[in-house]
Amino acid sequence: MTCADVADLVDLIASGDLAADAAVSAHLSTCAACAQSLDTARRLEAVLRGRPAPAAPAQFTSRLVNRLRRANWRREQIVDGVFNGAMVLAALLVATGLWIALRHTGLPLASRDALDLVSAGLIAAAQKVTPSLPLYAGATGVLVVALGLWWWASDSPAL
Amino acid sequence: MEPVHERELVDRCRRQEPGAFEDLVNQFKHLVFALITRTVSDPSRAEDLAQDVFLRIHRGLPYFRGDARLSTWIYRIVINVCTEDGGRARPSVSLDDPDSRVPAPSVVDRRFSDLELHDRLEKAIRQLPVQYRLLIAGHYLEGVRYEDLADAMHLPLGTVKTQLHRAKRQLRQILEGELK
Repeated sequence: MTCADVADLVDLIASGDLAADAAVSAHLSTCAACAQSLDTARRLEAVLRGRPAPAAPAQFTSRLVNRLRRANWRREQIVDGVFNGAMVLAALLVATGLWIALRHTGLPLASRDALDLVSAGLIAAAQKVTPSLPLYAGATGVLVVALGLWWWASDSPAL
Repeated sequence: MEPVHERELVDRCRRQEPGAFEDLVNQFKHLVFALITRTVSDPSRAEDLAQDVFLRIHRGLPYFRGDARLSTWIYRIVINVCTEDGGRARPSVSLDDPDSRVPAPSVVDRRFSDLELHDRLEKAIRQLPVQYRLLIAGHYLEGVRYEDLADAMHLPLGTVKTQLHRAKRQLRQILEGELK
């Protein structure tokens, strides 16, 4: 048994995965360097076993759930944005298609009449809605403040 | 945790039962946090990284087929997160910085402070490759099944044991001066 042989076994013996047989024990009793290595390995093993296992902070789960909620909200916002963009694009395509169709079917007069009709309807609707505008503005303001408070509360790690 | 209970917990999470994911987090948070704290170069980032692990778990749960144990899958995610973090610039660690310098072993006796030894051990561990750090972290952490770690690393148990043996040998060489 040589020092090189024992060097390969030192950590296994120190961790208890291997029992020192007679040959190893005999070598260790006569070789101070190998005995020192085994002693060092045993001390290292003891220190590693005694290494503290830090626990997760008390607020870990709640902070994680908040982060998850924010991530989900952002994802939903992206989905909403993409959906709204797609709807606007579709509306534009339909409008363009209609415009082209009207031009090619020779119905510009009819379309002008229809446009006048729609414009008149819009103006009448606007006149009806105008007196209630302050109420709508107030309701929108309350909604914006509520959304702001919700955003602040979900963003704040202390809550 | 028993595989049956793991399966049940995963099913509850998939059905989006209220509180199910929180139960999963509470079940594994200390293990994940301890593994990460012991492995990453900068322990102050441990909470962020542990949260990243659980965010990935949350995203991946619908696709988790249950071929492996839940804990194995979680360790795999921990390994990925730690390995990715290992690619960042590592703070320079020196065992010989003036604050931690210990007189030569021939001068002092063996009764040096345990606290200081632990500190130097942490610094020595940070010099090891991420894979070795994870093995050392997992092997000495109560509740981590060694077989699960081997599965998570896609390595045979024997290879993992050999790597652990090498890791400890490297550590011993780094710390040789302090432990004599």
